[in-house]
Amino acid sequence: MNLLDLALRNIKNNIKKHIMFFFSMTFSVFTVYTFLALVQNQQVNDAFIYDGRYRAVLLAFGVIIMVFVMFFLISSNNSFIKARKREISTYSLFGMSHGRIGKLIFLETLLVGLTSLATGIGVGIFFSKLTTMILLSVTVISFSGDVALDIDLKAIYLTAIMFISVFSMMGLSGLWVINRFQLVDLFKAEKRSEGKGKGSYILLIISLILIGWGYYLASSNNPYNLVMMAIPILVLVISGTYIFFWGGLPKVLSILKRNKRKYYRGVNLIAITSFSHRMRSISSVMATIAVLSAVATTAIATGFTLYSNIENNGYDTIGYDLFFYAGEDDGILQEVEEIFSRHDVEITQQAQVPLYRTYPKLEAIEIEGVTFYNEEYYFRVYSQTAYNELVNMSKSKIAPLEIASGKAVWFIRADVPRVMEIMKEQTLDFTDLNIEVSDVLVNTFLHFGSIYSLVLNDEDFSHLLLENQIVKEDKVGRGAGEVNVFNFNNALQNAELNSDLNKVLYQNAGGYRTAYSHYSEARETFGLISFIGFFMSGVFILMTASLLYFKQIMAAEEERHHYKTLRKIGMDYITEKRAITRRLLPVFAIPLLIGILHSIFAMKTADTMVFSHLMPMGNSYRKVLFFSSMMYGAYGFVYSIFYFITKGQYRKIIR
Amino acid sequence: MQILKVENISKIYGSSKRDKEYMALKNISFEVIQGEFIGVMGASGSGKTTLLNILGSIDKPTTGKIIMEGKDIAKYSKNQLSTHRMKNIGFIFQDYNLLETMTLKENIILPLALHGTKINDIENRLSVLVKDLGILNVLDKYPYEVSGGEQQRAAACRALITQPKIILADEPTGNLDSKSGKDLLHLLTYINDEYNATILMVTHDVFAASYCKKIMFIRDGEIYNELHAGNDKKQFFDSIIDVMSVLGGEER
Ligand SMILES: Nc1ncnc2c1ncn2[C@@H]1O[C@H](COP(=O)(O)OP(=O)(O)OP(=O)(O)O)[C@@H](O)[C@H]1O
Ligand SMILES: [Mg+2]
Repeated sequence: MNLLDLALRNIKNNIKKHIMFFFSMTFSVFTVYTFLALVQNQQVNDAFIYDGRYRAVLLAFGVIIMVFVMFFLISSNNSFIKARKREISTYSLFGMSHGRIGKLIFLETLLVGLTSLATGIGVGIFFSKLTTMILLSVTVISFSGDVALDIDLKAIYLTAIMFISVFSMMGLSGLWVINRFQLVDLFKAEKRSEGKGKGSYILLIISLILIGWGYYLASSNNPYNLVMMAIPILVLVISGTYIFFWGGLPKVLSILKRNKRKYYRGVNLIAITSFSHRMRSISSVMATIAVLSAVATTAIATGFTLYSNIENNGYDTIGYDLFFYAGEDDGILQEVEEIFSRHDVEITQQAQVPLYRTYPKLEAIEIEGVTFYNEEYYFRVYSQTAYNELVNMSKSKIAPLEIASGKAVWFIRADVPRVMEIMKEQTLDFTDLNIEVSDVLVNTFLHFGSIYSLVLNDEDFSHLLLENQIVKEDKVGRGAGEVNVFNFNNALQNAELNSDLNKVLYQNAGGYRTAYSHYSEARETFGLISFIGFFMSGVFILMTASLLYFKQIMAAEEERHHYKTLRKIGMDYITEKRAITRRLLPVFAIPLLIGILHSIFAMKTADTMVFSHLMPMGNSYRKVLFFSSMMYGAYGFVYSIFYFITKGQYRKIIR
Repeated sequence: MQILKVENISKIYGSSKRDKEYMALKNISFEVIQGEFIGVMGASGSGKTTLLNILGSIDKPTTGKIIMEGKDIAKYSKNQLSTHRMKNIGFIFQDYNLLETMTLKENIILPLALHGTKINDIENRLSVLVKDLGILNVLDKYPYEVSGGEQQRAAACRALITQPKIILADEPTGNLDSKSGKDLLHLLTYINDEYNATILMVTHDVFAASYCKKIMFIRDGEIYNELHAGNDKKQFFDSIIDVMSVLGGEER
């Protein structure tokens, strides 16, 4: 019998386990191929307006996925080989050299690998039309829904090269594992402990403190702090998680062991001892799963939430379908109006509002070396009437204001509570008038070139204007003259109109935004993130779940003699079933639960940082939680499928 | 008092059509009385392990009855069998089969834990046994952290802790050097004397067999002969050798 026959026969005999490899590899090949093909795709290339950024992003994530896949495939394979120790030692007993056994195993890996490579690429090509369409329709606004099927040779070739190198590395590390097997292992059951890791109170407490501290920092309501603290929070929580799985969880188990009444029930005794016996070999995987699932879920849920809110967000950020403040050329308004009539688009609302600035005296505001205000700053300033007119016309959800005389509302561009607290206490000193800041609010679009804006009572405004304390912008330079704002029909669909407007405004206006550009840019970005996130989490779930599977299969092989003994001692079938459930469930459930806990806090942070701060929106926390619970639903679903498969295999092995 | 009565048991392997049938046990009948220490000897392949497995209800006889407490075990369902094994039978395996994931203590109480015995009971029974067998100090260690003799004693404790009606041992000395083999035999004798435990031990080893009070020889699945230990140990030893040389069992 030559090696190939033997390899084929082995695959047939171990078909269930190989199928596990087959599926997870096929999906990762599919993902990598899809990404590469999309990078190459001319149509996608043309459709993405905002530079070639999407290529870089897809490529970067392709690489991340490859690295991830490599790591998980290699460790899955090593566990798989260890699970086949008896078989391998038998070959060795029959006089096969380790090198030849290595070749045999490598051949098997290669056969399964090449099959899944071919399948993955095949599936990728088959679905390439669909995936391209999905990507374009989630990202590009004016996507027509028609894509040509194209088979990208370069993508095929790159995918093949990358995966074949991964397979080779799997082969090499497998060989390394095989070389460490001793023939005597065949005859002796695994007598030594794999390292049961007793854990310690100190590590448990340290891990809880680290995680708790991270959570505490993460639940701060101050986005300014959160930005500064992001890295420390990550470090705290991630290191806490690893320490928890390395040293804390074993201690928790040993605390559980103290409750003799529960512990000395047959099922618990069996499950807890063998779980804690495996602890060391599996704790890193569990910690990695907990951390990665939290990170991935948070990132993707945030992406989805942003994506689902682009339209609302857009108007809260830029206010109108179009605004520009004039540059040096007076004819610009005329030109813009001509473009509208040329495109036969009806302008539903239009206004021209003069812009004013003012330089009141107030003390400099500085926090930890960062200057927020000094005499070099100026304010855009509106009367209450002008402000309300602008706000009422805008498509944002901002409410009009009522301002008493002697008061002002200070607008800033972003939510920075600490700074806002200080601003709220300021008095604005004009030569013959002192105006108190009554409130500090966030607005992103009404500044038209300045950093801060003020809204004053109408009388105060006209008084200060008369006194020359408020000056009209002259027509030169940025933020000059007056601002023109427009709302019009089908603003988010009309690509040609937008590109014509852009052409004119880019050259002539002091500053301008169109809702269309903003919207399509956001869609491209968040659509792409959601698209990638979807594939990433698919690969991620499959890889981690199958690694857990292989680790448990390996454990089952080593634990089968336990069950043989236990049956002789008088363990009945039902107890055995329950013991196995209790043995396996925590392996899948604990990392997932900790991941969920992490992401509840991470989501809070994302909410504070992104949604309350950068892109305010209502109910965002609930929305993010909703998306992430959907994701965890998916995780839970896939994990429970793997759990049941694992349990079935485990039971078969120990029979 | 009679503990066990075996009536006409036979075991046929390979009953499916493709395989050749092989009769490993042929119409065996015997009784076991409380407090006996029986050795089972015979050539390799004569059916000793098969017999022991059937007595331990790990395997079922093809025909025949095994009566314990007036009931035929051969008719028990799978779950009844587990309970029966837990309550009535203690096993001592060739390589002890202590689970390496558990401490000695956990290993010993395992049968009781499976049975759902109350902790107080568990602790009481445990403390008496381990003091007696001298492994009190190593209870919280793992099997690979203690000596072979200690593992052996722990395995004996595990077999004894359920206060089984009968203890079955399949070549318990097979893997041991002569010193620990001797220790184990002393241990079994001690258990037999002190606890009045009934022991049935399969062995190839004439020296080990000479510790028994009675020896059953099996040949080709049938009981060939029985020997009772008299007062003279040397004479008992010699007569075992005589029978074994007829049976062709190798000596070790
Ligand atoms: N599961 C089985 N299927 C078929 N035949 C079996 C099976 N188990 C044992 N046998 C056969 O039954 C006969 C008795 O086997 P058994 O294991 O009882 O012998 P033994 O007396 O314990 O031998 P040894 O001293 O070598 O352990 C042998 O010929 C063996 O080949
Ligand atoms: Mg035997």
